[in-house]
Amino acid sequence: MYINKSNPLLLHPLNKWMKKKKWSWFPHQIETFRHVRTGSDVVVFAPTGAGKTLTGFINPIDDLIKLKKFKGLHTLYISPLKSLANDIVRNLEKPIKELDLNISFQVRTGDTTPYKKQKQKQKPPNILITTPESLALLNSYENAKEFFHNLKYIIIDEIHTFLDNKRADLLSLNIERLQTFSPNLQRIGLSATLKNKQDAKKWLCRKKPKIVSYENSVLPKIKILESKERIPWSGHMATYSINEIYKEIMKSKLTIIFVNTRAQAEYMFKNLWLINKKKLKIAVHHGSLEKNLRLKVENNLSKGLVDCVVATSSLELGLDYGDVEKIIQIGAPKGINRLLQRVGRSNHNLNTPSKAILVPTNRFEFIEAKAAIEEIKKNNLDKIDLKEGSFDVVAQHIFATACAGQFDINDLYKEIIKAYPYKKLKLNDFRQLINLIQDGGYVLKNYDQFKRIFQLRENKNIYKLVNRRETRKYRMNVGTIIENPMLKIKLGTKTLGNIEEVFIQNLSQGDSFIFAGQVLEFQSMKNNLVQVKRSKSLISKIPSYSGGRMPLSTNLANSVRTLLAKSNMWDSYPEQITAWLKRQKNISNIPKKDEYLVEQFPRKKNFYTVIYTFAGWHANQTLGFLLLRGFKEFNYKPLGFVANDYAIVLWSLKEAKEIKTILHLGLLDKHLDNYLEETSIVKRLFRDNAIISCLIERRLPGMEKTGKQVLFSSDLIYTVLKKNEPDHILLKSSYEDAKKNMIDYDRLREILKKIDKKIILKRLKSISPLAVPIILEINRENLSKKETDEYILEDLENEILKEANVLSIN
Amino acid sequence: MYYQLINFGNEEFHAYPDKSLYWKRLNTLIVSDLHIGKSISYAKNKQFLPPYDTKEILNKIFVSLDKIKPSNLIIVGDLLHDVFSTLSLKYQDHKNLIQYMKNTDFIWIKGNHDENIQIEGFKNLTNYKIDKFLFTHIPIETSLFQICGHYHPKVKISHRGKTIFKTCFVHNEKIFILPSFGILTGGLDIHSKQISDVLGKNNLSIYPVGQDKVYKL
Repeated sequence: MYINKSNPLLLHPLNKWMKKKKWSWFPHQIETFRHVRTGSDVVVFAPTGAGKTLTGFINPIDDLIKLKKFKGLHTLYISPLKSLANDIVRNLEKPIKELDLNISFQVRTGDTTPYKKQKQKQKPPNILITTPESLALLNSYENAKEFFHNLKYIIIDEIHTFLDNKRADLLSLNIERLQTFSPNLQRIGLSATLKNKQDAKKWLCRKKPKIVSYENSVLPKIKILESKERIPWSGHMATYSINEIYKEIMKSKLTIIFVNTRAQAEYMFKNLWLINKKKLKIAVHHGSLEKNLRLKVENNLSKGLVDCVVATSSLELGLDYGDVEKIIQIGAPKGINRLLQRVGRSNHNLNTPSKAILVPTNRFEFIEAKAAIEEIKKNNLDKIDLKEGSFDVVAQHIFATACAGQFDINDLYKEIIKAYPYKKLKLNDFRQLINLIQDGGYVLKNYDQFKRIFQLRENKNIYKLVNRRETRKYRMNVGTIIENPMLKIKLGTKTLGNIEEVFIQNLSQGDSFIFAGQVLEFQSMKNNLVQVKRSKSLISKIPSYSGGRMPLSTNLANSVRTLLAKSNMWDSYPEQITAWLKRQKNISNIPKKDEYLVEQFPRKKNFYTVIYTFAGWHANQTLGFLLLRGFKEFNYKPLGFVANDYAIVLWSLKEAKEIKTILHLGLLDKHLDNYLEETSIVKRLFRDNAIISCLIERRLPGMEKTGKQVLFSSDLIYTVLKKNEPDHILLKSSYEDAKKNMIDYDRLREILKKIDKKIILKRLKSISPLAVPIILEINRENLSKKETDEYILEDLENEILKEANVLSIN
Repeated sequence: MYYQLINFGNEEFHAYPDKSLYWKRLNTLIVSDLHIGKSISYAKNKQFLPPYDTKEILNKIFVSLDKIKPSNLIIVGDLLHDVFSTLSLKYQDHKNLIQYMKNTDFIWIKGNHDENIQIEGFKNLTNYKIDKFLFTHIPIETSLFQICGHYHPKVKISHRGKTIFKTCFVHNEKIFILPSFGILTGGLDIHSKQISDVLGKNNLSIYPVGQDKVYKL
């Protein structure tokens, strides 16, 4: 018999099945198989449609068949989404059933019934498909060690979603725990294409690390909607092109329209519905909709029963919707990776290109869309920056460890610093986190008699849970995802989904709003349920959701700057864009790739300063605040500022003549703490930290705490703690989180380091064309919450006094 | 410190932003629901709130006493959060309290949280009557004017498209409810059933507490 030496997979148990399907093995599958077989940890990079799921399972299935009737858990598969986990089961089922292989596999997520979970613990399947949170829970059981001690492989799917967030921190700690339980454990990561592949490898791999990569040679076909309408100066809703979008939907069999926020999704859906003369089947899909409604849309999508779905990032990952012909992206793409992920939802087939149309909602977005297309042609992806792990996740992990049984803190510390995000975790910080779990970690030792964990007398390094009841509290608080206070919406007895409490508070009885694509009238709110009825009202509000803002990636920002400076390209743009840029060049300046344009001009009675940083909203917001401080110091009497992804505008009573002196690195060092304090960024993050570290509970057993109450009490705790114990580990943790996530500290630092030599200062007689979009955004408020509250009270009181005609007396 | 003038039962009261109420004619300061030691009582359920509430509440009280120098201090119930609270009352705190009692009469009304708790040197009463005014933690059936606590009232204010919640003083013709003087204490909407059952829904005088000022709605 001739054995093809170059392909060991021809002897694989699945080869028969592949042959029957007339499929052949991909090179990356062969390579992965070889590496894993020789003991390597591997990260595999491959586009969708290249058999990624199967790649992960090749070695486990081979092993399991060779081992014959292996008892117990052999392979763990981690998926970022519950829905994806179910999809994996379906995919795995096909070959295993058709070949009648003696391999058991099951899914375990938050949706699995307690009965099933119990059975899984008694008789684990060979392959368990689960999520990071369910894994953390499994590790917190007393028998975790026996459960996992024969584990051979852990497969992390969509690993690119696990690199830069707290969920990744949690997962990394739990992988190290598994490695302790089962030292022979091998790790396999599956990822979409990534720019910094080495970073993903560093994050995951320990044993003979290897990267396997398969690049798709077929580039997607992306173009910008050619609109006959005028592209607006500012705004984010694409109303101008709604008819043209509708025509595009009609042209394709099945279209997904991606938008950037849930509010945009509802708005787009409503506008399409108003012009839906052909009675196309259009649906809406976003994360706040009730699970059943979402599943229904997903189901219709995969069966091709709809013509178009308007969706947010909720439809971005994983699932295979075979018949999607076209993607329409409304608004700025914000990042190359994100755009590619979305575009990849169409034509889930390797050899035919995906098709997408970008619809810029304002003029800057046109340049951004153009830049994104250029970068995709060059296959220049965004880098995902690895971040140092957060403290609060370690605290939660310590609690989990205590739930599983007594532990030695030195062993635990050694295990934690093996996890990539925690390589630099200091022993001192770790000890403070132990104290945090023990009794809150306060300097005053008031809680000695109420500890949660305690040191054994005979060995001070061994800690133990005070009583088993505490395990229940851990299990109710596991995970790193903290949602805003939400309320359920009920239409009759049917639940439509969840809506932010803040939005509902601003409604009065009889007000109508749009949700799940329907116009609804607010009737009442009782026990955290919002009762609504259908409405025919034409005037309706659209719920906004906080946290919906996606920052512009550095990569794309650079590309936008490069493209803007390329004046030889302008003539290929729509006339209105060309005219806009040419006029800007004549009146002011178009900055070169590494220059920072600063424009100053008087308008009405104030002086305006516009700085084009292209640094993304987070960094610009921070810079805006710092400049406000700087302006105050120079006595320019600043009145406010507005930031977007591209620029910042400040307005002041006096002309900011020394802008070049103010714009430098010192600004950041001098005013940053103040910024964090006044904008309550740290306070907001403290709430997440307090919940993740289990200092305060999400819910108490038997008593559902509403999100609002948690927010309220964590605010008080923050204030008291800040005043009395400013060095507390949770304050430090919140501050670090703010620096990492909310203010783009590093990005801002980089810009300020070199900005002073590269400023192009233009003093103009009036507003420049480039400044128009951002000046139009000056409607937003820039007052802190504290100031806003006082302002509302003051204003209301004055109004009432005026009404009562007593203002003069006062 | 700015105060808001409040007329209740034909007497002049001053509401302060620190959530205390001053009765001018009798030179009496009134506070309610301090919930001293709430943190320590949570700690027994392993919710480790910062253990500084007792210290801060007492400091707040002392600052107020130093400034206003009243001849009486009436605490309208829930001075203490529960039996564990006395654990957080340190020796020095106790000594300071005794010191203040030399110049100010302390009248401690029992609340639902502290009706069965004793502190050495202090006496607590079920309620206390002066002229036509009754001080009681929870309102009772009476023809007297009542000054109470218990409910930690808050008011929801919607104005120009924004909604905020503010701690407030609130009264109707006969019943006055003080806000909680504590620092880790939550609040209850004045339009909730519990408060409506006591005050009714109409003809309420509401005084939200701002940063440095008590407002009037």
